This record gives sequence, structure tokens and C-alpha cells, in this order.
Amino acid sequence: MKRAVLGFLLTCTAVGAAFEAMAPPAAAQPPARNLAQPAARATQTTATGGAAAGAPRMPVDTAPAATPNAPLPGESEPQDALPEPSSAAQDLYDSARGDLLQIRMLLKNGRTQSTVGSGFLVGTSNLALTNYHVVSQMALDPGIYTAEYIDTDGNTGPVELMAVDVLHDLAVVRINRNGSGFFKVPEQAVKLRQGQRLYSLGNPLDLGFAISEGAYNGVLTRSFYDRLIFSGPINSGMSGGPSVTASGTVAGINVSRRRDGESVSFLVPVKHAQELLRKVAEQAAPPADFNPQIGRQLLAHQAGMVDKLLEEPLTLKGMGQYLVPVRESGEVRCWGRSNARGAAYSVDSMSCVMQSALFVSDTQQTGNVAMTHQYIRSGTMDPLRFATLASDSFQVDNLGSTGDPRLTKPFCTERFVHTRSLPMRAVTCVRAYRKFEGLYNFTLLTASTDASQSSLQSRLDVSGVSYENGMRVTRAYLGAFGRSGRR
Amino acid sequence: MNGQATGLLAGPWTIETLARNGEVLHRHRVPALPIRFGRAYDNDFIVDDDYAAPHHACVEQGPSGTLLLRDLDTRNGIVHKGKRVKQLALDGDTVVRMGHTSLRIRAAGHPVAPELRDRTMHGWEGVLPGGAGIVLSVLVALLVAWLTDTSNDLERYAQYPAAAAGIGLVWSGLWAFGNRLFGRRARLGRHLFIFGCTLAALVGLRLLASVLAYAWSLEWLSAHASHAAVVTVALGIYFHLATVTPQLRRRLRAICAALAVLSSVLILAGNMQRHGRTADELYMPVLLPPELRASPDVPVADYIDAVGAMKKDIDAERRGGAAE
Repeated sequence: MKRAVLGFLLTCTAVGAAFEAMAPPAAAQPPARNLAQPAARATQTTATGGAAAGAPRMPVDTAPAATPNAPLPGESEPQDALPEPSSAAQDLYDSARGDLLQIRMLLKNGRTQSTVGSGFLVGTSNLALTNYHVVSQMALDPGIYTAEYIDTDGNTGPVELMAVDVLHDLAVVRINRNGSGFFKVPEQAVKLRQGQRLYSLGNPLDLGFAISEGAYNGVLTRSFYDRLIFSGPINSGMSGGPSVTASGTVAGINVSRRRDGESVSFLVPVKHAQELLRKVAEQAAPPADFNPQIGRQLLAHQAGMVDKLLEEPLTLKGMGQYLVPVRESGEVRCWGRSNARGAAYSVDSMSCVMQSALFVSDTQQTGNVAMTHQYIRSGTMDPLRFATLASDSFQVDNLGSTGDPRLTKPFCTERFVHTRSLPMRAVTCVRAYRKFEGLYNFTLLTASTDASQSSLQSRLDVSGVSYENGMRVTRAYLGAFGRSGRR
Repeated sequence: MNGQATGLLAGPWTIETLARNGEVLHRHRVPALPIRFGRAYDNDFIVDDDYAAPHHACVEQGPSGTLLLRDLDTRNGIVHKGKRVKQLALDGDTVVRMGHTSLRIRAAGHPVAPELRDRTMHGWEGVLPGGAGIVLSVLVALLVAWLTDTSNDLERYAQYPAAAAGIGLVWSGLWAFGNRLFGRRARLGRHLFIFGCTLAALVGLRLLASVLAYAWSLEWLSAHASHAAVVTVALGIYFHLATVTPQLRRRLRAICAALAVLSSVLILAGNMQRHGRTADELYMPVLLPPELRASPDVPVADYIDAVGAMKKDIDAERRGGAAE
């Protein structure tokens, strides 16, 4: 018996080794993994977070990086250092400092901080504005996280969450003292001229309160929700801080910056803050659990997003003999790439990604659409060999697994389908959000099955949509595939 | 048996020295009774054992005609079934131990089992099956190298066959070593042939499953192909084991079947843990030339209906997870 068991183990090892040896060298693999994940969004929210950086925060001058991929400006690039503040900025800071806050998320156990951001007291009230992503942990897991504020004099106090607006990334909190009335949140939208000077306040990188000067540069159209472009440095930790005009009128709330840009930062227009403050004034008491409210906001977002995505038929583009659906608009940008692999085969790919996503938590972004097309063809490969290549490319591993606390395991439907003029293999995998009822992530994988020496493989990812809308997008997208006359 | 026939109990007598597993190590014939055992040179059977006395025991005709073994007052004595005995009646299957030596005494008329039917193909040994096995492994490796070749480099057509032949030689060499140890002959050729066949069956079944699944939309077939591989490997191991000890075929069959079931269950459990389902993969990634499709495709509307039907399960899963 022992001998047999040993023999069996040996076989398994040997067979495993044999298969290992037979795996094609990595360099020869087709670029299947390009289909893998929609491109990460390039903007980065600006809450400084130890949790996000994956390391406990240390209160020393090694800056905690919520920006693990980007060098911290001022640290590696001396030319990025803040310019000498103008006298206007000095005056502004002197009058504003009393109403400026740092907001810290604390673990209830041990009261250690997990993320820090900024905030400011609105007028003479005890309400302060900040970003949703600064207080997201407290909103999602009130049992684990709590929060406190620190003002410029070093006074601290508790923070009570009043309302959140996930779509515009805003939150209103209440603290135990009133503002001096410096920050005026206007009833009407502030009229700004391009190039107008704005002053952004906050506590960058938990180093201390700071003011930075920049210019207003219009409204961002690539985002689903409007953002103001601020050409000035906003660093991690300044999230939730105000950006004001020289007179102290709040123009926007610091929210994010482009990681690949130089001082290209974004503000939430103040009119959304005004709306949220109005909502707070109407409500009797803050909800005990913010999750249902966040879920409702995400549902509202996806309804608008999908309607906008499908308001006109998807554009058809030609890839070889195929017609592929894409949506190119202000929010969704497409990029193309060609990749000839020696003489054996070549790959053309096109990917369209919505330029914005909603921040839910450090580990979860949603409300996004991404589509990728990959056209593989070969003139010389034998059909069977090409089939192996195409199968290898069609294998996608990152559709999720069990044990994810945010999403259920994926459920998949696979069929051979035929659209108007193209037979295809289609796979839809759906995962449900555990925390937010009625929200799902849809992934559609397709591969053409009409030719033996060319293969069109596509992937559509729609995250954070209702089941109805997920099916709507799937139907519209799948139905649009076709074959053009030319080869 | 005792009184049955004097012929059964007639000499000459054969004394068999046994190994622990019952195998006969040595046979010695003694023409007549009494038979004296011991280390001294005046014995009929010299027990070459430091733990045996110079005159250890003696076998005589007992009162009822049976053989009677008697201890000659030694320090270590005679042990039968773990107990020390002074004297003991023997039949042909009684095994006694003197010191470290196990013995059995059989009469000339002791019945033996009939001859076994010889199913061994004696021509199919050595170079012939060995060569066939190597050629088979090399061909399979070439096929795999060709199928997975995406860059037209010729090196792989040397690497893959070399790897397959090398692994085959090591694998079969280990089996041949075991064969030599337990079955007296190495039979390397046979083991190489079994390796080649197993490899060919593994690859062949994988391809067959893919083609069948693709042609008739049998996604489950491709998703559970690992079990076919388990059965193939178990069969291969059975043939290796049966080559080593052909007389234990029945027991080996049961062992290999049990191991195959165990491996399949482990695979199912592993899949369950990783993907939350028993299938090896979430979906079938196989794409083959269109000529191989046999079943009709479904319209997009049917597909969307199938997607819609999943909602119930997903919501149940979500609620189940929330309840935990």
C-alpha cells in the first residue's frame, strides 16, 4: 500500500513536471493578459492613508505615501517645490487658519489613525465639509472606525458624520465648535474666469497646514461628474480642504490630482457642497447606517451612466473583417495598439475606458465601463495551431474567486451565439456586491468562431450596475458585433 | 490430515527458511526422521544463527503419526505464533522460530497450487517496448511543441522531445529499480512503454475532450477534464505496479481505484475552495476552427435570457454570504 501511494505521488510529481516542461516559454505567449483588466484610472484621490500604502503610518517626516506609484512632489523633484507664497496668500492663510481642520480616521481599537484628510468649517456653523473618500471607512464600517479633527492650534475633538455624496465625493461632518465665518459657501455657483488665482488649503501629507496657490483652468469634461481643473499642487492629505478665491469665497473642494501630470489637480464645484448642506439642514438626524444611502447613490449613478452610455447606438469600428462596437465620447476614451509578433501572427488591440470611477473604499472603485477588443490573425499558422493560440488568449484568470468580502463569487453563462452576421462564443460572468443590494459587476467575454486563422476577442467590464442595466449593456454590446464585407 | 495418508507424511522432508514476509529464502532436503537442528556441525540441519543453540531442537515422529518438534532445553527456545513452546506438533504450514530463524517443514507429498496461466508476452520485453515507449513520448512532445508554437522557433522542437524522453527515462528507471528490488527483473522496456502510453493518453484525452466539448457545446466535459487525467494516471500506475508484482493484480486494482477516487475528490474540493464550484475552470476557453462546430448556435436573445436566469442564484449567494 505504501509503495502504491508513493508511486502515485511520484507520478503526480512527474506528470506535473512534464506539463511544466511543456508550457510554452513566457515570451512566446500571446498578449492575452491585455484583456485582463480595464486600465486603472489615472487620477488619484488625495486622502493620505497608511492603509492604502499598506504600511502603518509613522508620525515622522518620511511622508506616508498614499501615492505608492508616484514620487512625492517636493521630495524627488525639487523644481516642484511650492513657490514663495504671495502676500495675498499669507493674509488669506492668517484669516482662514481658525476654520481649517485636519480630519483623521481612527481605528476604534487603539485609536491609531488609518487615513487623514482635510476639512473646513462652513460659515459660522458647526458643520464641516470634506471629501467622502476621507471619511469612507467611517461611513462603511462605523463599528471599526471613528474619527477626530485637529485644528491649526492643535485642539482635537470628535467628528460626527452627517451626510455623504459618493457621486461627487463630498461629506458633511459635525464637530463640537463653530466656525468664525471665514469660509463662505455661496448659494449660487461661483463665476470663475480661466486663469483666475485660487488658493488651496489643507494639510498635505500630514506635515502641517499649508496653503498653495494655483489657477482655475476650466471644467473637466472627461469625468462623469463635473470637476474643476486647478493648476496647482494638491497633495495627499489635502483632500477635503477648500480652494478659495482671494476674497475667501469657496470655489471648490480639493479632491484629486493626476498622477502622471504636473500640478494638474481637481476640485469638486462648490454647488454640490451647497446641495449636500441643504440636505443636511432638512434631515432630522444622520442615518445610523450609511451603507443603504451609499447603495442608493451608486444605483442612481449607474442608472445615469448606463442611460448615457446607450443613449445612442454604439459606434461600429472595423477590425479586419469584423465590426466591433465601441463608445467614444467625452467620458470614454479609446486607445489602440498594434503588436506584430514575429512572422507567425499579429495582434491589434483597442481599449475604451471610462475616464472616471466612483471611489467607494480604498479597495473598491465602481461605476465604470471598460471595453477591449483584440484582433489576432495569422497568415501562416495551421488552423489547429492557431486554435491553441486563440484558446490561450481567451483564457482570463482574474474574474474573481470565492472569499472576497466585497463581492460574491462569479456566476457565469457561456454559449455559442450568433449575432446578425457573426457566430461567437460568449461568456458572461456576474458578481454581486455584498454590501450594496442590487449592484453587480458584469463581465462579458466574446470570441469570434467564424474563421480558422483570425480571432476577434473582446471583453466588456461594467462595474456597479443593476442587473437590468448590466443585461441591457450586454445585449447592446453583444448584438452590435458583425462582419464587414472586406477581409 | 494426520491419519489420512502415510504418503503425505513420508519423507524426504524439506526444511524451508522463511523471510518475514513468508517468502522462502532457502530450502534444504533431509531424507529421514529424526531431524536435528542447531548450530553444531553434527546436526542434520545447521541453523546459521547466533541466537540458536548448538543443539537447538529435534523433529521426531509423534505418537499419532504427526511430526513433533521438541526444544532441547535451550536458552531462547522455540517460538510459535509469538509464544514460547516446549514442544509442538507440526503440519506443512506451521512456522516456528528458533532464534532469528523462521522455519517450516514440508513432506514430499505436500500439495502445491496449480501452475498459473502465463499471460506475459515474452516477446514484448526489453528494447522493443522500450523503444516504442520513447518514440511515443517523443511524438507526443513534438505534437505539443507544434500545437503551442507561436513564434516559429525551432529550439522547442528539440527541447520538448528531450524533456519528455528524459522524464520518461527517469520515471521508468525508478520503476525498473523497484521492479528489480521486488520482482527480480528490471523490465525497463515495459515501464518505458507504459510511460509513453500514459503520456499519449493524457494528451489525447485532453484534445478529445476539447474537440467534443467544442463541437457539441458540452462545456462540462472540458470543465471536468482533470478527472480523465486522474483516471489515466491511475491506470498508468496500475500497469507499472502490475508489472512489478503481477500476482497482486486484484489488490493493486483496488488500490489504484481508491487513489483515483481520492485524487478526484481532492480536485473537486480544491475547485470548490478556489472558484466555489466543482468545475476546473469558470468557463470553457477552448476555441477551435469553425469546421469542428457541430451544434447550432443560439440567438443573442436566448443568451440574454440565460444571463437573466442567473440572477436568482447570485442573489441567493449574496444573501447566504450576508447571513454568515
